[in-house]
Formats: sequence, C-alpha cells, structure tokens
Amino acid sequence: MVNLTIDDKQCTAPKTATIYEAAKINGINIPILCHDKKLKPFGACRMCLVEVEQMKGRQIPACTTPVTEGMIIRTSTPDIIKARKMVLELLLLNHPIDCPVCDKGGDCDLQNLTYEYKVSANRFTDEKFHHDIDYNNPLIERDMNRCVLCGKCARICDEIVSYGALTFMDRGIETKIACEFEAPLNCEFCGSCVSVCPVGSLLARPVKFKARIWAMSKEKSICSYCGTGCNLTLGVKDNKVLTTIYDPEQGFHKGQLCCRGRFGYQFVNSDKRLTTPLVRKNGVLVQSTWDEALQIVATRLKGAGSSAAALATARLTNEELMLFKKLMESIGSKNYDHSAGYAHAALTEGFARSFGTTSSPSTILDIQKSDLLLVINTDSYETHPVIGFEINMAVKNKGVKLNILSDKKGKLSKLPNATTLVHRPGTAIAVINAVAKAIIDEKLADGSAASVVGFTELEKALAGSTWESISVQSGLSATEIKQLATDYANAEKALILFPVGLAYPGHDAELASALANLAILTGKLGKEGCGVLCMPEKNNSQGAVDMKFYPADGGLDAAKIIDGCISGFVKTLFIAGENPLVSYPDHAKISSALDKIEFLVVSELFMTETAALADIVLPACSFAEKEGTFTSVDHRIQYIKPAIRKIGNSCSDFEIFSALLVKLGNKAPVSPASVFSSIENQAAGYNGLSYAKLGLDGAFASVNIKSTFIVPKATSINAEAGKLALVTGNALYHNGTLSQYGEGPMYVCPEGYVEISRTDADKLKIAENDLLTVSSSNGSIQLKARVSFRIPEGLVFTPYHFSSTPINKIWSGAPVTWVSLSR
Amino acid sequence: MSENAAIKILICQGTGGISMGAKEVEAAFVKHLAEKGVDALVGKRCDVIKTGCRGLCANDVLVDIITPEQGRVTYDFVKPEEVEQIIDEHIVNKSIMEKRKAKPYYNTFVDKQMRVVMTGCGQIDPDSLDAYKEEDGFKAIEKCVKSMKPEEVIEEVKKSGLRGRGGGGFPTGMKWSFCKASPGDHKYLICNADEGDPGAFMDRSLLEGDPYCIIEGMMIAAYAIGCDFGYVYVRAEYPLAVQRLQHAIDVCYEQGYLGKNIQGWGINFDMRIKMGAGAFVCGEETALMASIEGHRGMSRPRPPFPAVRGLWGYPTNINNVETFGNVRHIINKGSAWYASLGTETTKGTKIFAVTGKVKHTGLVEVPAGMKISEVIYDVCGGIANNRKFKAVQAGGPSGGCIPADILDTPVDYDSLIKAGAMMGSGGLVVMDETTCMVDVSRFFLNFTRMESCGKCVPCRIGLKVMLDILERITEGHGEISDIETLQDLGAAIKKASLCGLGQTAPNPILSTINYFRHEYEAHINDKRCPSNCCKELLLWQVVEDKCVKCGACKKACPVDAIVWEKGQLAFLDKEKCTKCKSCYDACRFMAIE
Repeated sequence: MVNLTIDDKQCTAPKTATIYEAAKINGINIPILCHDKKLKPFGACRMCLVEVEQMKGRQIPACTTPVTEGMIIRTSTPDIIKARKMVLELLLLNHPIDCPVCDKGGDCDLQNLTYEYKVSANRFTDEKFHHDIDYNNPLIERDMNRCVLCGKCARICDEIVSYGALTFMDRGIETKIACEFEAPLNCEFCGSCVSVCPVGSLLARPVKFKARIWAMSKEKSICSYCGTGCNLTLGVKDNKVLTTIYDPEQGFHKGQLCCRGRFGYQFVNSDKRLTTPLVRKNGVLVQSTWDEALQIVATRLKGAGSSAAALATARLTNEELMLFKKLMESIGSKNYDHSAGYAHAALTEGFARSFGTTSSPSTILDIQKSDLLLVINTDSYETHPVIGFEINMAVKNKGVKLNILSDKKGKLSKLPNATTLVHRPGTAIAVINAVAKAIIDEKLADGSAASVVGFTELEKALAGSTWESISVQSGLSATEIKQLATDYANAEKALILFPVGLAYPGHDAELASALANLAILTGKLGKEGCGVLCMPEKNNSQGAVDMKFYPADGGLDAAKIIDGCISGFVKTLFIAGENPLVSYPDHAKISSALDKIEFLVVSELFMTETAALADIVLPACSFAEKEGTFTSVDHRIQYIKPAIRKIGNSCSDFEIFSALLVKLGNKAPVSPASVFSSIENQAAGYNGLSYAKLGLDGAFASVNIKSTFIVPKATSINAEAGKLALVTGNALYHNGTLSQYGEGPMYVCPEGYVEISRTDADKLKIAENDLLTVSSSNGSIQLKARVSFRIPEGLVFTPYHFSSTPINKIWSGAPVTWVSLSR
Repeated sequence: MSENAAIKILICQGTGGISMGAKEVEAAFVKHLAEKGVDALVGKRCDVIKTGCRGLCANDVLVDIITPEQGRVTYDFVKPEEVEQIIDEHIVNKSIMEKRKAKPYYNTFVDKQMRVVMTGCGQIDPDSLDAYKEEDGFKAIEKCVKSMKPEEVIEEVKKSGLRGRGGGGFPTGMKWSFCKASPGDHKYLICNADEGDPGAFMDRSLLEGDPYCIIEGMMIAAYAIGCDFGYVYVRAEYPLAVQRLQHAIDVCYEQGYLGKNIQGWGINFDMRIKMGAGAFVCGEETALMASIEGHRGMSRPRPPFPAVRGLWGYPTNINNVETFGNVRHIINKGSAWYASLGTETTKGTKIFAVTGKVKHTGLVEVPAGMKISEVIYDVCGGIANNRKFKAVQAGGPSGGCIPADILDTPVDYDSLIKAGAMMGSGGLVVMDETTCMVDVSRFFLNFTRMESCGKCVPCRIGLKVMLDILERITEGHGEISDIETLQDLGAAIKKASLCGLGQTAPNPILSTINYFRHEYEAHINDKRCPSNCCKELLLWQVVEDKCVKCGACKKACPVDAIVWEKGQLAFLDKEKCTKCKSCYDACRFMAIE
C-alpha cells in the first residue's frame, strides 16, 4: 500500500493502482471516457486529467498513471475543470448531438459528462462529420459520426475477443474506427464492441427505437444457451425481453457475452412460442386446456412402470429435472436420460471412474491462473465462446502457453505462440494415450503417480503400443507428441479443457479418462490453475448430471429407450425440451421410434419436428419466465428468477411435473426453493446451499477427487477409401437447436454448411457456396460448401443445429462418418 | 601525406550527391583514369572513393582530390564532362584549376564547424569496414569490453554530459542506467532513425556516410545496458540509408562484429533494420515501438517508460542516431574531452540542418552553445538575396520561432527552450522579410495536424481547430479574439496531450504570437499581410517607388499578366492574374504587394 493525498484527503491505495483507481477506492470520482478496467491502459480521451504536485506543469492522466508514495493529487482545480471542458467542447464540435434520436440517450457517457460539466456553449466551430452509417448487418449499427474515438471497441475486439474486426484508420481529424479496407462489419457479432461503446456509435439494432434505457426494467438472469453460465441482464418492457444490457460487474466474465448470449434472446418472445396445450384428436393436434391435457397424460402414466420413459433437455432447471425424475420414479420407471445418453458419458462414466466424481475438478477461473492450457479440439471456442475469451485473455495478457490437440485448426490456433497439433480424425484418444506413454517413458511423471490405483495396468497397457503405430494412426510424429508431453509435464500449472455434446460423440468416457490420466500422472490436480475442465454443451448439462437424470439400477438409457420405442417395449415417451428428430444421431431410427411409439408427450417452447409428432403437446416456459437453478460447466450453481410473466397460457416444466405428481396422487412440492433444499440429500456437493446463499455470483458445488488410473480404449477408425472423413460439431453462433429461434444467431449463420479444405475443394472443383450433396452409408443431404484453410486435407466439418439441414440423415453417431461429396 | 601515398579522389555520394549525378562523375573518373593510364603517368595509384555527405549538398557534386603536392583541394558543382579536364590539369599536370575550385565560402563553411560525429562523413567509404577500422573503428567497443565494466561505460557516458540528440535532451547515461536497472535477461536497444522533421536530414546523412559508427555506438550501449538485440527504425523514405546500413550490418555479421560471441570477446548482439512507413508520429518512442510490434503507430501512455516495459513488454532503451554517433568518440577520447566541448548544460557538438532563406543550406556540426547568429551568418553565409533576416524556426515543426533581437541565443537545450523554441532534432529554418509568420505557423500546424495519430482529443481535434482559425486569419476573416483563443487553446493542448507531438505542436503559433503579434494584428485588423505573403491579402499591384524596372516579374509571369517594357515601370493586370505569386518571388526589390 502507498500513502497519498487526493484533494487534500489522506488516502491509501494498493501499489499497483492507478491514480483513477486509487481515487475510486477512496470515494473520489474522476471522469473517464476511454478507460475500461478490462482493457489495457489507453489514455486517449484526456477527461481524467489531474494535477500532481510532483509533476508540476503537466496535466496527468489518472487512468494510466500509477500511484507513488507521497503523491499529492488534485482532481478538480479550476485548470483541470477547464481542460475537461475543453475536451468536451472539442468532442462536441464534430459530434452530431442528435441525442433525441440516439438510442444511447440516457446511458451515454458523453451526454452525462456534458451535463455534469455544464458545457452549454462552444467557443469553437467546425463542421460535423459526414461518415456513412454502416447498416450492413441487422445486429450492429456503426455510426462513426457519433464516435469519440475512445478505441474501446477496437481494443476489446483485439484484447478479449481476439478477432480484430475494428481498427483505427487514417490520421489527424480524419481518424476513424473502421473495418479493414473500410469493408462492412463482418465478424463474430459478439457485440462486445457495442457493450463498451460510451456513445451511440455502436448500437444493437434489434432494440433500436424500441425502448429508452430508463423505460426498461433490468432483470438479472443466466444465459440459457451453453454451459458457461454467463450472467445476463435482460432489458424488459411490456413483458417483452427487448435486449441484453451490459453490466461490467456481472459474473466471472464481467458482462462479456457471445453472439448467441447477446443477440439470441428473441426466442423468449417469439411469435412461434406455443401458448396453449394441444391434444391430438382424430390425428390432428387441437387446442385444449391444461386440465384435459394433463389428465390424459396422468392417466397414461399411471402405473405405466417401465413401459414409460423420459427424455429431458439439459436446459431444464435442476429443480425441474429433480421433479421429472421423481415423477418417473413415482410411476415405477427408471427409464430416463438426457443428451442422447452419450453426451454426458465423459462425466457420468469417465470422470466417475477416474476421479470418483461426476464434476470437473477445475473451474473456469483456473484458466487465467494456469501456465499452460491443453485444449482438446479447437471447437472449444465455438462450443463455449466466453470460455474462449478467457483463453484469449490468458494467452494474450498473461502469457499462458496454449497447446491444442485437434482434428482441425480453429480460431484458438491463431493466438500468439499457440501450438496446434492436428491429428487424424477420431484419433484423439490414441494421441492422448501416447502423451501419457511419453510422460511415463521420459520419466516426467509426478512422484505421487506410481502409488495411484491402476498405475501398473496403465503403464503396461501403454507400453504395448509403439511410436511407429501411433504415428501412422494419428498422423503426428513421436517428436511432436513427446514435446507436448514435456511441455505439459514441465509446466508448473497446467489445465486441460475439452468440450462434450451431442455433436461430439468421440468426446466420451474414454477420452475423459485418457485426459484424467495425464493430470493424475503429472500431479496437476487439486491445485489452482490445474486439472481437467470438461465443458458440456447446454446451460444445465452439469446440473442434469448432478441431479442424476441418467439411468441407474437397470433403467434404460437414451439409446435403449429409442430401441424400446421401436421394439414396442416402451409404450409411453415423455420428452421435455429435446428435439431428437434433429439433434440425435440416425434420423431414420429416431423417426421410426417416434412413429411406432404408442403415446408421445412433448413439453416444448416451440412446435418442433418432434413435438409435431406428439399426442399431447404441453407449452412450456423459457428460462426468462421461471425460477430455479442452473449449474455451469464448472459446477457453479446459479439462481434465476422470472424476468417476465409467462407467455400465453404456458407453464413451466416445474408446474407441469408438479401438477402431474398431484394428479398421480403424490404430494406436490411447495416451490422450487423447497425442491432445491431437498437436492442436498441427493446431489453430492450441493450440501448446505439455499437460494439465499447462492446470491448473485452463485456458489460452487464442492468436488472431491479420488484418483484412479483407467486404461482408455482408443476408438478404432476404419477409413473408407476415396471418401472424406466427416466430423460434426458446433457452429460458433449456435447451441443445440434452440438458437434457431434467436434472430441474431440465425442472421449470422442461417443454415447448415459443410466446411472443406482448400486442397479437397481444388481437387473436387468445389467453390464457396456451391450446393453439395453429402452422402454417407446412411443417406444424403444437401449443404452449402465453405472452403476453409483451417481444415486439413481429407476432412470435412459440419455443424448439427439446423432443422432445415438435419445432418443426422447422414450421421449415425460415429465419431467419424465417411462421406462423398458431389455437386 | 607521404610522397608515395596514393592519390585519393573523394566523391560525395550521399542522397544529395547522387541526385546531382555523383555516380556519373565517379564513372567518368574511373573511365578517364583508366583510359589515360594516369596511375602510370604520375607513378601513383589513384583511388576513386565514394564518401558520405559533407554537408553542403547545395554545391554537389563535391569532389575532393588529395595529392601529395597540393594536399586537399575541393571542386564543386562537378559535372561528368569536366572530369577529363580536371584529371589532366590537376592530377597529371599537378596544377589546381583555380576557376573550378570551390569558392572560399566553402572553406569557411567547413572550417567554422567542428566535426566530431560527422568526422567520417565525407571522408571514408561508408561501405568499407576496412576504411572504418582505419579511423579507429571498433576500437571503442573493444576498449569497453576489454577494460571497462558495463557500469563504468555508463559512468563514462554520464560524465561526458551527453544528452539525447533526438530533441528531448535527456541525459543519455542516465537513460542507460535506468534500462540497465530494470530486471530481466532480455532487453532491447532501439536506434531511432525515423527522422520526420521537414528539412532535417542529419540522421540520414550519418547512416549514409558512416553506418559502422552507429553500429559501434549501439554495440557499446548494448554492452553497457545488457541488451542482446537492437533495432534500427529507419523511415522507408531513406532507401540509401537503409541500403548502406544493411550492407554494414551484413559485413559486421560476416566479419564477426555482430552475432554471437563478437570477436571472441564473449558478448552477443544481434541487429536488424525495421523500416517505418512514413508516419511522423513514429519518431515518438512509444509509437515507434508500437510500429515495430506491427501495430498502428500510436503513442502509448508513459509510465511505464520503455526502460521498464518497452518493446514487446521488455525493458528497452531508445536513442537517436546522432546520440549513438557520439558514443564511440566519448569512449575513445574520454569523457573529460567531450565535457570540455559545449556549454555548462549541453556538452559536445550538435548537427544542424540549416535550410530556408540562407545562402548556404546544409548540415553543419558546431559546438553546442555557438550563437544562432554565428551559425547563420558565419557558417552559412547569411541571408540569401540580400534580404533582411526575420526569424529562425528551431526544432522542427513543433519548435518555435526566434526573432532577430534574440539571435544571440546560444544553441543549447535550455537556452532554446527559454527562447520559446527547442533543440528538436536540430532543424533551423531561416526566414527573411518575405516570410509571413502567420503563414509559417499555419504551415507547420498543417503538418502536425496531418501527422497527429488521432488518438488523444486535444491533439486530434484541437490542432484542427487552431488550424481553422489560422486559415481564417490568413484569408482576412480573423477576429481579434482569435489571438486569445489560439493562445488559450495552444496552452491547453500542450498541457493535455498524450505525447510529444501534441505537447509541442502549438509551439510555432505560441512563439510567433509572442514575438510577432503585430503581424497577427495586421492580418486581423488591417486585413493586410505585412510580408505580402498571404495570397488572399495581397493587393496584386506594383509598388512604383520600389520597382527598378528590371522586368524580372514579366519573365516570371506564366500568364502574361505583367505589362513591362524596357525602362518602364511594370504593371500588373489583375484581370489576367491567377495569383500564383511567381512575380512576387521573382522580384528582388519587394516591389509587388
């Protein structure tokens, strides 16, 4: 701590603080325009100028100047006030001052400072700017006439998003923020630039002219897309979620959001929302009442026993999943599962046997505290973009080393000094086993490893493979793999990250155990900045695992439930929020199962392909209308409360399951809170938690690790001659099938596509946007081509989210599908 | 020179020399010497040597012939077709061609100077390592490595009193000690050769004329500070400097003067050139580093200073070319010798680029503390065309104007600042009575406002506003309150701007208002430009009592707007006139207003 005097007040501040921070800590506000604590010091706007006794004659920018012992600072002398007024006068010279029609009005730093400093006239004169306004995309409007050139947009895009869409251009008074070659904005559309813009230069177009900032209520919530668990502030007016509002203090991510989080909220108030229960009568779904619909379901479920089964989406709250399980158990069925049964295997089987727990032994916060990140699959950025931002910041600002093991390159590969080892598709487990082998062979293992259960078996199993065969199989040289092993083992702190989800069937229990082996071998567990972070796909995937919404004691898993539908063993299927017809592998099989099932109940927000086949359709609520908790990938439990009233006649799944429980003669729970308090008896790590204790930041469920070495079985891939290896995955802008109802994601990425290497494109004479027929042994679909140089020769990639192009028509759930392309 | 030594023909081949045909002159010498068999005729070897700039570029091509009989004789304005005659008369017949010899003022120009940093320039072949070694090249670094600890080198530089020649005047030894004190194994050294001031070209001449001297200076700094990698940031507009420096670096690598374990002395130093893309602001150290890193050249806030966190986050020391040029002389001749030159606060010599309305423009190196009047009148021969001196702009586009009554100001850092100007990189723009001080301010401000990186508000917008006001004044639309606004805004911009560019850009305006306020007032109140310079305020007529009826204006007029006959007063036809000012510039009697 250093002692200093600010405005004649004796103060102390940390040694690393700037004058601005020191003043803030001590309750003195210094005005800023270009400063953002997330970003590197910039010092452009000169609003924060102060006088420092020890640096007489100059005016010192408070936001960039560190404090020193004995500093005597004056923040508002007449000279300083005059200088700040001059800055504002100069800025207002060229600024259009069109506040009445500017969406930023009321939330604008320039407007507020002008008011505060009473700049009611201008000593100077100059023309206004005449820049063209960029209306080229429906999400972000760029009006450089209002720009004060604080550079925050360009800086956040570079420093945090690591995309670099915006930059300064030209010199002197002509300086402006522009995209390269003054092209229209075409980026990730995460809107980070919009969030930090202090004026109305960058605006979210979907909310333009819809509501003034003060007319909206600001409702705290949690994003319902991926498992990162980002916190949201929803801007609500007239029971409509109109926008997401940036709150730099919110969440571990400090308000940073990705495209779907920021621009994908429209599904909540979508016209397509189901608002009334529907009952199939004479083959047609007709409007009904809750009482009638639920009575039919209750009657059907009563005593159904194991002929009834349930599939849930991992987007339901913990409380809903708990209740759904209870409902199934009350009718005597153990047949319930989520995420197609395999997408949670990394946790429920892999980590369960390797770590003795079904949670990751790390948190997102470890990313920035680590020395080395080993990322499995570059898709980690696409699946969890805000975790991707954390990786960007760790690598760019903290010098954390980044090693990537992937079947293709990706955005993460472009980070400074990132090393990407591109292996043949489907050979990740073999490579990771080889890394473990190298750690043992090169004596890089931690002293504690040999005493862990299973070490001898692992050592023996790994000794069986030769470097030659590994190289032939994976396409990576022994040297590369050994280097990776050395880097990982020698790093003081190292963290492994890998995504799991419906589109990543290869990221299974074996992969999880293989990765767990690395951490156990090198002792990189249970310490800050170390461990393995499994990143499941959906907002409550970890919660669904924690609630044990997967089969045990002889219950059927998702695959067997589907088989059971076909065989007739399963007669009643209750699907809550899943759309297996689009998202589960093997379209033909799912289609036949849903055809054959006697009675299908679907609770949904929308009339999905699956809901359209149902006998009863129950209109459910979105995250914005209900109360409960979600558990993020790093087992942080976070509370949501309704931001708006329920849409139409919809009910939350909590209410649906409660009502059914009552109809089936059980006692209904009092509230989600009461269910939550009962969770602690059933979910390890949730002990002692209550809604009150979760607070705004949520709370981490405790995780206890008991390490065991497991011998992971590597997937065997049988290449088909003359065909390309198709791997499935996530598109950056989408998550599951829900994001199809978000306007933002659908603008940026409206349909499926197939990404192909330049080499293969040349060979097959394929050009960008060519409509291709992609055929596998399962069938064929048509997809537009994207020629990309991140894809290695012989590989094609396609995202899975789209009802219009359901890739499960060609994909049977294998990690690698062999396909041919034709125009 | 001994009787048997070779005859040397030194041909000035800086950028100025080459553009005046020095390469052709050299070729002519080589050709005629060979054809005539001069070596055999005079019984001596005749070496044709290309050298760097000698300073008086206006008189290029300059050829020095050194023979045992005549010693050194300089010919100026040499053309290839004259070469044969020079060889015949001077070398073969051993008689000096008096008529073609450089006039006495050339010798005055040279003799009045004191050449320390530029000793090699114009004397040695800049591409020859051997030539450099003959001039005690690499002796200084050898001395440092073999007999001095790094701390002692820094101490020696501190004692010499050397201050940064880039303009800031920060004590060099102190700067080095800061960087040395920063923790870290990896440190960078940068030589700032982004010489952007219009009219200044000493850095270019040094790199073109004596590149090894700069390399050695950097090696000494690197040894003293503990840097292992050096960048020379040169503007891409200096192709010859880049080419010669690159050649020198290549030769140094070949000969083991750069790289690992230099000369077996156990020191490592690598070096490379980074070319700048022509932004003036990249001469500012933080913008320069941003540019090397591949970012847009924009200044960054200090602290942290480069010595603590500079290039790519590592401790970095940045000095100007001329600063590095001084270093080897300090080591070779000792700090006491160096400190004996100059004034109390400014030691050593300083190179100035003298341009403008002076008789002999060029580079001059003089002991710090020489009076400006001596530089202009004694070294450079005074004002051209017998006009009256008005002011000298010192310190480049962000320097200030010094009027006649304080022309005795010594050229040292502190006196210049006191006079409202600054040392800057050492540009001296001399202005005579035809120069309008408002227009000069407008000119320099137009430059700085165009070159502002656009980052901080006062510089980006403030300079534009000041420029608008100045333009208004020079067009006759000024108001008397404008002067106060300019002063007010100028002072505020100086205080509030982020980097040196904005902090100094208002200087020309403030100093001209200070010394030449009456000119501003004349523009505003009388709508007249006293120097008859601002076009919009000219009357476009001939002053009858000044006209000497010479007709120079008629010859100069491109549109036949001047009516003149021999022995008659000239008349300007306003209908035809396009206000190009050719007549005004041609008239030596100030008879056009």
